[in-house]
Amino acid sequence: MSNDISSDQIEIILEFVQESRDMIDQLEPIIIELGQSCQKGDCWDILGCQNADCHRQGHSLSLPCWLDTGYIGNGKQTCPHGSSEQDCKKCAIFQKTNGNIETINAIFRLFHSMKGSAGFLDLVHLAAVAHAAESLLDLVRSGKIQMDASHVDLLCQSCDFAKEALELVESEYNDQATAAIAMDVTARLKRAAEEALERVNQVEPVTAATVTESEPETYSPPRQEPEPEDAGAPKDAAMQCFELEITPEMVERFTQEADELLQSAEQGLLQWTEAKPGPDVIASLFRNIHSFKGNCGFFGYSDLERLSHQMESVLDLVKSGKELANPNPADTLLICLDVLRVAVADVSDGGNGKIATLTTYQQQLDALMGVQAKAGAVMPRAAVPPAPVAPPIVPSQPKPAAKDQPAPEPVKTQPPAAPTKPAAPKPASVAPLAPPAAAGSAKAATKRQDLRVDLDKLDQLINLIGEMVIAENMLIHNPDIVGLELENFHKAGQQMSKLVRELQEIAMTIRMIPVSGLFRRMIRLVHDLSLKAGKKVELVLSGEDTEVDKTVIETITDPLVHLIRNSLDHGLEPPAERLQAGKPEKGVVRLSARHEEGQVWIAIEDDGRGLNRDKILAKAISRGMIEGDGSDLSDKAIYSLIFQAGFSTADTITDVSGRGVGMDVVKQNIEKIKGKIEVTSKPGKGTRMILRIPLTLGIIDGMMVRVGDTKCIVPTLTIREAFRPVDEAITITPDGQELARVRENFYPVIRLHEVLAKEPQSHELSEGILILLDYQDKGICLFVDEILGQQQTVIKGLSDYIGNVRWVSGCTILGDGEVCLILDVGHLVEMFDMKEALGA
Amino acid sequence: MAENKILNDLNTSLAGENEDTQKGKFLTFHLAKEDYGIEIRYVTEIIGIQKITEVPDMPAFVKGVINLRGKVVPVMDVRTRFGMPTRDYDDRTCIIVVDVDDKSVGLVVDKVNEVADIPDHQIEPPPRTNRESTRYIQGLGKIGNEVKILLNVQRLLFSDELTMPGEM
Repeated sequence: MSNDISSDQIEIILEFVQESRDMIDQLEPIIIELGQSCQKGDCWDILGCQNADCHRQGHSLSLPCWLDTGYIGNGKQTCPHGSSEQDCKKCAIFQKTNGNIETINAIFRLFHSMKGSAGFLDLVHLAAVAHAAESLLDLVRSGKIQMDASHVDLLCQSCDFAKEALELVESEYNDQATAAIAMDVTARLKRAAEEALERVNQVEPVTAATVTESEPETYSPPRQEPEPEDAGAPKDAAMQCFELEITPEMVERFTQEADELLQSAEQGLLQWTEAKPGPDVIASLFRNIHSFKGNCGFFGYSDLERLSHQMESVLDLVKSGKELANPNPADTLLICLDVLRVAVADVSDGGNGKIATLTTYQQQLDALMGVQAKAGAVMPRAAVPPAPVAPPIVPSQPKPAAKDQPAPEPVKTQPPAAPTKPAAPKPASVAPLAPPAAAGSAKAATKRQDLRVDLDKLDQLINLIGEMVIAENMLIHNPDIVGLELENFHKAGQQMSKLVRELQEIAMTIRMIPVSGLFRRMIRLVHDLSLKAGKKVELVLSGEDTEVDKTVIETITDPLVHLIRNSLDHGLEPPAERLQAGKPEKGVVRLSARHEEGQVWIAIEDDGRGLNRDKILAKAISRGMIEGDGSDLSDKAIYSLIFQAGFSTADTITDVSGRGVGMDVVKQNIEKIKGKIEVTSKPGKGTRMILRIPLTLGIIDGMMVRVGDTKCIVPTLTIREAFRPVDEAITITPDGQELARVRENFYPVIRLHEVLAKEPQSHELSEGILILLDYQDKGICLFVDEILGQQQTVIKGLSDYIGNVRWVSGCTILGDGEVCLILDVGHLVEMFDMKEALGA
Repeated sequence: MAENKILNDLNTSLAGENEDTQKGKFLTFHLAKEDYGIEIRYVTEIIGIQKITEVPDMPAFVKGVINLRGKVVPVMDVRTRFGMPTRDYDDRTCIIVVDVDDKSVGLVVDKVNEVADIPDHQIEPPPRTNRESTRYIQGLGKIGNEVKILLNVQRLLFSDELTMPGEM
């Protein structure tokens, strides 16, 4: 299909995809903002209208005032607060109940330009959806209908559709495959508009909920999943919202990923059938099943979810070292795994992933955990037919009508088939809700001009500038001109040096991008989660302009998703409980970023119930993670326990969180970029997590020191002070360890020349310099010959070939072109501690 | 200066090679008393010796790292790798930068000679000895009366005779 497209066209299309992605990224938060700006309200109440003649006075009518007594449409034009259609649109009531006109206009414009470009590129389906969304917005904008929550949802779904379609466009250069879904979304948008119009005309109070619920039968893509057990209206509404997002494309990705997960789980289990594997294998098994469960939950395959949930529970028991009814559950788990696999295959063929014999397997697993009567546990295997025969899936319902239409999707063949798209599957551990970190999608909060540049090119540029600094040095200090009287040359040279410095400074900041793009993605996450959890949540963002290195942004995306999810799931209480505790019904989650102490601090605060110290402590003691009763531990130490793998105090494990996997991910990712997490919490008041992250991975402030003729960089952040010791300040312990006294404290002395195996200028401490280094509240004194000066250093990794080197965290290139090593202070301190421990 | 010219010429001829013309071509260099060769497809460039920053905790043959136009490249002394006696670097000492599996490594050799064509039929299999360094030999190439010891770059770099720290 794509053969007849020229490379020019491809370029245009790809550009369009990029642009549209940015647009959608912008769009989503605005839509949600719009939804929030729409509130119920009565005109007489808001305006304090005393007009007793008005029939609206004192009543809550579903027909908006501007269509009733106002000047829009068939309004009776009796309202005393305005005199024209314009007045009505500017009126506070219109703005309040029908969304801010500015916001609507912004959304309208974005959809409009998407429609235009898509039409131009013959992406008819994308254009159709954008057009329908635009029409709906136009009705709202002109006041012909009243905005409600279902419209906001629909618009969000249109965005989701557009995202999916764009992905397809990126690989196929057309959007043919999205025809079915596009028609569906378009139809829904149209119907929503019609219904809203009808509602206005009939003046019949119809709630948003009934609107959404009256529709499901009419559309077909792979969602025929009744949710019998997940009762509760908000959840249902949320489920529906999620189901809509599921496109064949996503199902394909789901099955691929599911297959990988199951396969890797199977390997672990097979290993287990022979002998009980180590904890890592179990942990990885657990993670696999956990991710699988998460995906199933997201897609609404409830049977799959339930079964895997139970398997996970079994594994959790094993992980925590509990006894199972059957010492080796691997066989039973394998059988269940096969059931899952068959169900996944069914899903990939367009089925609904139902497991007819679900309860049998559930009982088996329960038996394993000793939940039920021993009967099942005695002969778990005999009770069930062997795996291949086992899973008689509910015959998949006749394929939805949409499937028969032109080309919804080349019907998926086999799940393990190689991915047809270059796009990597979403990382399994990430919550399915997390929008994929679209590359380079960050946009400034305020309008500014951005240019998209290949990161490689940028790095090349930065390298080149570094080279230029060196070349400039070599030129100006060239031995050939030493001693010559060259006044003009020196003037020109100075000018050049200045320019080069400036150039270098700017180059350093190029890699920095504002966190706003990342933060804005969280708006959608909070929106979806709050619906799903049935909680009212307001997300407050601040400090979006704060700039950090691009790599940092990529690394903290996952942790942020996990932390916010935790806040919503565990931190914030349900509305009823909040009201009881005397808090406003709506919980607040604050996400902020700021520069502090040469780092970026990203804080996630909620005003929920806070961490429960006693519960964490009790759990930690029961898991044997701490000794004693823990009464001597600080709050800080106890809170940090929540970052341990597998730690969770949740009584019930939901499909969103509660297994204790997420926080482990958070910790690992943050540590990867040398950041720290700080937790503070007040019971009943809320929790605050601060991620303290180095500003950039690329540049540090360093102090250059010299030992003999070797130079090293010590990160300035770790230096507390430097001094030339007097003899009296040095004490030598019987085992030869030198201690330096700094005021009231004694710190061990580490001689850098010993670490590097070099010959120093002098072995006498009093002839060199001691640098007091601080790492996690542990101090050491580093002995060097002299300090050469402070400078900004661009960190470069030592080559992969060399791998990790003890004491060295990287290297940098000095002005004279020489490579200089950067000391890893953390490692030095740890090494010293280990030496201590061994010596003792 | 003459040395520089040789290097420049070699680098120019390296740049002119593409995958098709690289076959059967070897960069030959001198080490102690013998001539050696490595397949030209691995070679990215040849530079004169420059200041090497030592890295602690490395096997002896890893001399340290150099700055190659902003890129940090580790450097291996091939003499030390073969267990030959070391010799002071002079202005003929060269660093051959090779690129294997996207990893750049510099090889310190006594002197670089030329790019030579050695067709397959002129290459004999490696001799059967029990010496340690034989494992790096890919074959013996003949050019007239001369013999070039052809090295297996892959093994030269990654042979785990000494496990690199960090690769464990």
